[in-house]
This record gives sequence, structure tokens and C-alpha cells, in this order.
Amino acid sequence: MTPTSSTRPIDPMLEIRSLQKSYGQLNVLNGVDLKVAPREVLVIIGPSGSGKSTLLRCINHLEEPTGGQIYLEGELINDTGRSRKDFEKHINHIRCQVGMVFQQFNLFPHMTVLENVMEAPLLVLKKDKTTVRDNALELLGKVGLSDKTSAYPSMLSGGQQQRVAIARALAMEPKVMLFDEVTSALDPELVGDVLRVMEDLARDGMTMLVVTHEMGFAEKVGDRVIFMADGVVVEDASPQAMFSNPQERRTRQFLKEVLK
Amino acid sequence: MLDWTIIVHYFPFLVSGALLTLQISVLSLILGLAFGLTAALCKLAANPLLRWPAVFYIWLIRSTPLLVQLFIIYFGFPQIGIDLGPFMSGVLGLALNVGAYNAETIRGGIISVPKGQTEAARSLGMSGAQAMRRIILPQALRIIIPPLGNNFVILIKDTSLVSTITVVELTLTAQRLIGSTYKPFEMYVMAAVLYAVLTSAASMLLVWVERRTRKEARA
Repeated sequence: MTPTSSTRPIDPMLEIRSLQKSYGQLNVLNGVDLKVAPREVLVIIGPSGSGKSTLLRCINHLEEPTGGQIYLEGELINDTGRSRKDFEKHINHIRCQVGMVFQQFNLFPHMTVLENVMEAPLLVLKKDKTTVRDNALELLGKVGLSDKTSAYPSMLSGGQQQRVAIARALAMEPKVMLFDEVTSALDPELVGDVLRVMEDLARDGMTMLVVTHEMGFAEKVGDRVIFMADGVVVEDASPQAMFSNPQERRTRQFLKEVLK
Repeated sequence: MLDWTIIVHYFPFLVSGALLTLQISVLSLILGLAFGLTAALCKLAANPLLRWPAVFYIWLIRSTPLLVQLFIIYFGFPQIGIDLGPFMSGVLGLALNVGAYNAETIRGGIISVPKGQTEAARSLGMSGAQAMRRIILPQALRIIIPPLGNNFVILIKDTSLVSTITVVELTLTAQRLIGSTYKPFEMYVMAAVLYAVLTSAASMLLVWVERRTRKEARA
């Protein structure tokens, strides 16, 4: 980590300006402004259809924003000024720096656990095989799956698959990690292991954006929580403030529903 | 009934015809696979300059008889300066034909791979081509192989049509021997037996390949 001067405000890792996304008539994001500092863990909560997932998917350009800007360390992600071919290269380069973990894991079923983790660093970053292998084994150790390296995804539980997916994203050594409801498809008893891995990651200083319904995790691990509804950020506060003293009526309503 | 002395005497001639049939089948199979994969990927491409030619090719081949396609290539093309000769005309005609059917089979396999696989691959920084080659196609293969094998069995039987453009493969060998022996029953039965041997061997090979890919790709 590079030391940051205390006199200068820290440049954001991620900056989002009046982001918009619509599908035809349907506006999913209606002007989202957001800054995420390096090492910050931002938790995004809100009712389904509020645009949380779309926001994450715009950041690594799985969805193309209809308006606004997203900057990663000052570099414009959705840079429409580039030629098509140049943009393709630019986006792949951005995606190498932004890891994503999905609700449905999306592991590659035709590859072993170890191959899943090694594939992108070998193919995309063209790293040396021994280095990639050592790094993959270390990551799999970190997520508690050292004994599953030669297993296929179908042989693992959901929780184990999701931890492999986290290791796979980390193998690219990203600057930011996006978690899109990563525990929503898991059996309740498997959620804990995945959240623990994410907590470790937060402690190690990873910049994280976490869309989740796990309010306990938000409160314990989050540095900041935003509440989204109807494609806008309704409330932006510390976890303590958000959960003990929400300012907006809609936030209070939502929290009353989910914490019931 | 069957005249066994005729059969024993002429069997080696038919076997050499069957070897040419095998050669034509294997060549058309390889070319047909290349045509099929190319056309499938083009038909799936966003770019209309790739998509429309693929759509046209697949439509054209599937809506016309193979025999007419072979006649156009062998009898028609020389008129516009393309003279491939009987063997190459036959191989090209068969390959173009099976290629169109393969294209639809391959395309179906590719689109049946869940969208999340592409998203995961792309989110790791892979290009579209890398994701296709390393993530999507290997998974599509499992779905594609059985119907693709079916196309190839049909291809082997369809090679008999190139007898009409003077390629002396199994069927034309039988016909020529009938001309000198006047024994159509024996000759055609022998030809049928040899076709059955070829297609059955292909089917068995296919089962083996299928089993191997299933072992490799447990989903």
C-alpha cells in the first residue's frame, strides 16, 4: 500500500457521477452519485428492483450505462469517446482491476477448482504458470478450501463454490471487489463461511462494494451503508447511524421490514 | 439366392470403393466441422456483415436438395471457370451441406450455455473470443456432440450421391461391377453391408467420444 499524505484528501478509488441506466422506458438508475475511498467497505441495501445490482454491473460494464460517468482511480470507465476496438481493450483492462462475485457463483463447471482460479491470470494476464499456481493455492487456502483443489464445482456445496468464486476473482489481484448478493442463493448454514471470508478480505484492506441483505454483516464490516430505492441513493450513512437512526422515511420503512 | 462365388470374388473391389467412401467422409467431416463452426459463430455475431451471410448460407443449403447442390458444383461451376473435378466437387458439396446442419447444431449448443458463464468470464477480463474458446465452447461441446455425430452418420450415407458425379466410391463401384456381372442383388447387398459397417463404426466412435467428454466435463 502506498502511504497517503494526511494533508491531502484521499483520491477516491471509485467515483460515480449522475449515473443513469434505462431499458427502454424503464429507468433503473436515475442519477447515482457516489465516491468510494480506497480500503473502504461500502454496503448497498435496498428493496429488490432498486437498482443495486445494476449499479454494480455498470461498474465493470456488464451493463452499459445510459448516462453519467464512472471513474476508477480517476480513469473514466464508460469512455464512449474511444473507437470500438480500443474500448474493448480498455474495458478488459478495467475488468482485470475490478473483481466480481455473483449470486449464482458462475464457476466454470468443466474445470477443477484450481483451474477455475488459475484460468484468467494465465489467459488474460499471461503470467507464469508456477507463480499463478502458487498464488491460486494460497488463495484457496485463505478461503479454507485447500483440500478441494482438484474437485469439480458440481462436487462442492454452494458455500464452497462461492468461496472458490471469491478466490477466482482475487487471483486477478483486483483493486476493487464487487459482491452481488453473494449469499442469497445459499442455504442459511453456509452463509457464515462466505461472510467470514469477506470479513477477512475487508480487514486486509480490500476496497469492496457489497450488495446484500445481511444486515448483520453490513453493521459489523461495513464502513458506510447506502440505502437505494427507485434508482437513487436515498440515504448514505455510517452503519451505526443507518441502523439506529435512519433519517429518511423510506429507509425506516425498509429497515422495519427486513429487521422484523 | 445369393451367388456366394460372385461375392467372394468381387468383395475386394467393393472394399476399395468403401475406402474411397471413407476418405470422402472423413474429409467432408473435417471441412464440414470448420464450415459449421464458422457459420455458427457468424450467425451469433452482433455484426450484420457476418450474420447475414451465415444466415443466407444456412438457409440456402437447408432448403435445396444435396443432389442439386452437387450438380451445381460439378456441372455448373466449370461454366463460370471453377473446375474442381469430381472428387473435390464431391467433398466440397458434402462439406457445405453438412456444414449448414452442423452450424445450427453448434449454435444451439452455444446458446444453451447459461449467460452467467459469459459474464463470469468477461468480468475476469477475458475478451469475447477468449471466453468463447475457453469457457463457452468446451461446455457447448457436451451438448453438441450427440447431434453432431448424427449429422456425420447421415453424411456417410449421403456420400453415395457423389456416385452421380463420377466419383468411383462404393455405390458407383457396385454399379460398374453390375455392368459386367449382371448381379445387382449381390453387388448392392454387399454395398449396403459395407455402408452399415462404416456407419456403425462411426456410431461406436461417437459413443466413445461422448463418454470421454462427459468424463472431462462434469457439470
